[in-house]
This record gives sequence, C-alpha cells and structure tokens, in this order.
Amino acid sequence: MTDDRPRVDMTQVHDEVSRRELLRRAGLGAVVLVYGGAGAKRAVAGVPLYRHKELKGTLKILQWSHFVPAYDKWFDKTYTQVWGRKNDTEVIVDHISQAELSARVAAEAAAQKGHDLVATLAPLPQYEDQAIDHKEIVQEVSAKRGKIKDVCYHSIYNPRTKKYFGFADNYAPDPVNYRTDLWGEVGLKPTSWDNVLKAAPKLRAMGHPVGLGMSNEIDSNMFLMALMMCFGSFIQNSHGKVTLNSKGTRDALKFGRDLFKKGMSNEIFAWTASSNNQGMLASRLSMAMNAISITRSAELSNPELGAKISLLPIPKGPHGRLGLEHVMHTYMVWKFASNKKAAVKFLADLEITYKGAFLNSKYYNFPAFPSAVKNIKKELGDDRWGANPAKKYVVLDQISEKYTHNVGYPGFTNAAIGEMFDTFLIPQMFAEVAQGKSTPDGAARDYHNRINTIFAKWRKRGKV
Amino acid sequence: MRFRGNLGSYLVTGPFAIVLAFPFYWMLWTAFKSDRDLYNVDNIPYKFSQGSPTTRNFSFLFHHTEYPTWLKNTVIVGLIVVVITLALSLPAGYALARLSGRFGQSLGIGIFLTYLVPPTLLFLPLSRVIADLGLQDKLASLVIVYPSFTVPFSTWLLMGFFKTIPVELEDAARIDGASRIVTLLRVVFPISLPGILTVVIFSFSLVMNEFVYALTFITTSSQKTISTGVFTELIRGDVFFWQGLMAAALIPSIPLALLYNVFLNRFIAGFTGGAFR
Repeated sequence: MTDDRPRVDMTQVHDEVSRRELLRRAGLGAVVLVYGGAGAKRAVAGVPLYRHKELKGTLKILQWSHFVPAYDKWFDKTYTQVWGRKNDTEVIVDHISQAELSARVAAEAAAQKGHDLVATLAPLPQYEDQAIDHKEIVQEVSAKRGKIKDVCYHSIYNPRTKKYFGFADNYAPDPVNYRTDLWGEVGLKPTSWDNVLKAAPKLRAMGHPVGLGMSNEIDSNMFLMALMMCFGSFIQNSHGKVTLNSKGTRDALKFGRDLFKKGMSNEIFAWTASSNNQGMLASRLSMAMNAISITRSAELSNPELGAKISLLPIPKGPHGRLGLEHVMHTYMVWKFASNKKAAVKFLADLEITYKGAFLNSKYYNFPAFPSAVKNIKKELGDDRWGANPAKKYVVLDQISEKYTHNVGYPGFTNAAIGEMFDTFLIPQMFAEVAQGKSTPDGAARDYHNRINTIFAKWRKRGKV
Repeated sequence: MRFRGNLGSYLVTGPFAIVLAFPFYWMLWTAFKSDRDLYNVDNIPYKFSQGSPTTRNFSFLFHHTEYPTWLKNTVIVGLIVVVITLALSLPAGYALARLSGRFGQSLGIGIFLTYLVPPTLLFLPLSRVIADLGLQDKLASLVIVYPSFTVPFSTWLLMGFFKTIPVELEDAARIDGASRIVTLLRVVFPISLPGILTVVIFSFSLVMNEFVYALTFITTSSQKTISTGVFTELIRGDVFFWQGLMAAALIPSIPLALLYNVFLNRFIAGFTGGAFR
C-alpha cells in the first residue's frame, strides 16, 4: 500500500511560523501548563511534583527535632520522599522541640485530630486507648528482621491488655561521658559509683564537678532511675507490684545525698536537658550521663575537647551494673488517624531498612530490631564523623547489649510508670533527700505510697 | 548643672536601667559569638575571640531556617489581632465606663479576671474547638484565640482611661447636635489616643510572646510564628543553638523597643490614665 497523502516538508513548517506566532503559541502553552498544573496537589509552577501520577494519600508525622540536623534533613527530604513516591503518599513531617512533645500530644488527643503518627522520646502507655494495636507492625518486621530487642519489647507492650500501644523504631544507649584528662589527674575512672563518690570532691575542688541532675527533666529521670537499679532499688517487680520502699532505695538515696554534698552544687536542682551538654562543652564538668550528643557536638565545635571526652558503661553499684536507655523513640498511630494503613506500612518499612537512619543519626538511633542493621559493632569502629580516638563509639555496642533496660525494669513500661516518669517523682525524691527536706527512710516510704496510688489508679482502669 | 540637678534621679534609675538592659546586652553579645567562643567561660560576658564576632548566626537564621516566614506570620497575626482587639475593646471599654454605672465597674473587673486564666488550662479544650473549626495548622487559629486574652485586658485598660475624660465634653458635643457615635469618633477617641496606642503596643507584644497556643495549634513550619518556629529549629534535642536563639530574639525586640520609646509618654499616660478615678 502506498500512502497518497501529500507530503509535508518539515523544514518549511519551521520557516512558515512567524516570530509573533511562535510567541503566541509559546504563551498559550505556558498558560495551559501553569493553570492546568495549578489544580494538581503541591504543584510547583504548574508542573506536578511527581511524574505520571497524583499522590493518593497523605501521611502526617510529628516528631522531635533530632539533635543531628542532618538526620532531619535526610528523613524529611530523602527517606520520606522516596517512600512517598513508592507508596503513592505525600508524607508531611513536622518537628517540634522534645520538651514540648507531651503538650502537643495531649492537645491532639483532646482534639481527636492531628497527625497520623506521633513520635515521643519515651513510650506513652497513658494513651493506650487512643492508639491502635501496633502488633501488626512488630510481626511484619519480626518476620524479616528477627526478634525485637527486649528493652524495646518491654517498653511498648502491655501484658495485661496484650496490646502494643506503640512502636519503638530506635533507642539510644546511655553511656557515661567523662573527661579522661581530669579523671586521670585524680587517678580514677568512673567505672563504679564508689569511684565517682571518691573522685567527686577532688574534681569539684579542681573546678570541674561531676554533673548529674536531680531536677524535673528527662536526663535526671533516666540517670537517677539507673542509679537506683545499681543499688538494687526497683520501682516495681516483674508482676507490676510497687517495690520502691526497699533497702536498695534507701541506699541509693543516701548515695545521692552524699554525692551532692561532696561533689556537686545547687545547680543540679535547676538542671535542664541541655545542662550537662553545655557544662561539658564549656569544659566545666568532668562527668555526665548522656547519650552521644555531647561528644558529637564537641567533635564539631571543639575537636581538642572532644578528644578528651570518653565513653563508658554505667558505673557499677553494689547490685551490679544496670542502666536504662537514654531515649526510647516510640511512634504511635492514633485511632483517629486518617491514614492508618500508610502509617503502619511506613513504620514497618522504616524499621526493615533501618541502616540509613542509624548512619544519618551518627549512631544515636540504635535499631529496635538489632538485625535491621548488620555489623553494628564494625560500623561503630569505622566512625566517619571525626571520632577521636577512632573507636570511641564501639563501647555503645556493649552498653546496648548488656546494660540497657527499660524504664520500670524488671517489669514493663506501663501506664503507671509513664505517669510517674512524666511527673518526675524520682528526681523530686532524690532532691528532697539531698536538700535535707526528707530522710532516705521517709522519702522511700512517702514516694512508695505516692507511686502506689498511681499504680492503683491505672490498675483500676485495667492497664496494669 | 542640669546633670547635677538630676543626679539623684540617675542614681536611682541607673541600677534599674543596667539590670533591665543586661538581657539585651547578653542577647546582642551572644548573637555574634562563634560556637567555640560561646563555651569559652573566660570570654563571658565581655570578650570575643576564636572566630568571634561573626554574622554567621544571622546568616544561618535567614538562609537555613524559615525565620523570615515566621517573622511575617507574627506580624500578620499581630496586626489582625490588634484590629480585632480595638474593634471589640473600644466600644466595650466605653460602654462599661459610661453606661453601666456600678454594674459596669464590677463587670469590668469580671472581664479583667478572665485575662488571668492561664493558657496552660485552656489549651486542651480550645484544641478541640480549633479542630472542630478545621483551623489546625492555620494562622487563623491564632487570630481567633489570641483576642481571648488581649480583649479583656484592653477593655479593662480603656475603661479606666475613658473614665478620665470629662463627661461635659461629650455633653457639649451632643448639645451641638452630634450623635453618640460621632461624639465617640470626633471627641472621645482622639483624646484617648494614649490609651489606644497602649492597647496597640501591648496587644502586639502579647501576641509576639505567646507560646502555648502557638505550639499546640500549629506544627507546620511555614505556619509557625517566631515564638515556636525559633524554638523548634534552634533547640534540637538537648542541644541548644544559643547564638541563633539570641539573634532570633534580638531582631524583633529592636523595633518593638523603638516603638515603646517613641510612644513612651503616651504609653505611660495610657497605663496611668485611669489610675486615679
């Protein structure tokens, strides 16, 4: 068959379009592009953000501003965007300061509206009734990455209701940060609480006290509860019965009082989450219990100082070496979330491929499922952000494996523990004794009763 | 000679001025410090070294955060709230001062007392209201809620101010044939300018300082005001970026301080206008 249609000389076509006509057509095309595209979701200058398709769903996430700015950049601009394209979902991430998360979460719970996913630095079992059961996520990740770490399991599961009230994607080990040069002058190392008590007066006399808070803030909460465990003091037993009024608690309180009197100053009663960071970075403090934000900040702002700050596991006490996580980063999918399906998938996918988060957080975020990041110890040894000495962070592996327990250990982190944590009862108990407002016996008894009341309330509600 | 004559006044006010100006000095100084210099305790609070002074903190604020947007949002919310506040508190203050007698006095105190209810008690129930109105993450949520604390205070303040204006002035205008509205617009409000200016400046300052509602109603960065935006971007976990925080606080405080100074006499007159009646 032959084509009898008249042939068009394309070179001629080009010549036949006048400049005015070209401008007119281009202008018309631009109008179509701009106004046509304006209807598309998140269109920029008329061109859809994602080629070929409109994103069907939206997933809104609220979480803290990570201490590593690059982590938020990676999470917001890379990870969530790539995930969003794959899953036909626009992911919007909002950040607020960690200290204000509780207020915002409370407001969303009251309004029954807000983000699909909220993340907090400690589990919030108080909101169990408002959250979905996250079992499906745990099961999916377990199928691909093995068992969840015990400390995380005990932090997000309620054995009474058999419900996962949250999903921990990561936790941060809580090492001792200490100045090797200053402790070297004293001739000791903070490997035991006994050593800390011996060194503290000398360090204070040198103008470099130890900085361990007794204030209403997260670091004091974590340090003091860990200290108690090293002295054989536990808030509850494995059955959820309050056991605070014990010899261990009295011993821990006496130790706290002695440490304050011999080696610290009144500033620890006005401690904030940033106090130990600032004190260490200003070369004033000789020791703090904190995650790696101190050393990472020092590496950037003052490398010589950074080289003098070393990490160790929690000091050993009469009952042994028992520590807590510094942060248990827990996501919660609200029951009222408008896109529960995407939220669940997002969390499972995040955990299954956790290496990116681990690296971009500069090893702050330890995976809740250890197998999600292969060879953690080797990664820690190959630090790529200026650790000095190079293997400084390897000790985190040992701390995470051996000395990291959940808040409320040996029991679960239940709603009563959550309320006790949020109301800072433990720092208040230590501060009262250290300031001489109460005796160790009286404080242990008084706070046992107070915590018992909280437990009774939650037991009545069927959550403990 | 004049200085000598005022020596007593200077001796009394000098220490106050130093104490009150010190936070501003601290902000100014810290805003120009490098990271390393900030933590050098030998240099605090008078010296610079180790890369200071630097404008990097200001540059970071304007180029790596949404600070200009937060500034703009704050100004927009502030101006709208001021307009709403004036629209409600001017007639309310006048009515309470002139029309209601003793009942007005009690009602005025009652209205003022609502100003004393702290936002920390109200943010939870108001969250529900804002959500039901579909205003979460919108500046409109702040525009609706902020007058709840600016209007009561302004009404109370203006009520006291209107009482200082002789009723005879209004009577004269009425005899000349002016209606009450015209009397208000042509006679009462022009005389009340110090009080009105006080309301404007005070309401705007309250809006700039407000934190709890701004935090709980808005989380999207592009919708934040200065008080929460700065807090989110420059406090990361337990790491505080002090220089940026100080620079961010310094910038809006300068025009506000100038505004206070320009209208200082009228501001004082506004606050003390109703003090003796």
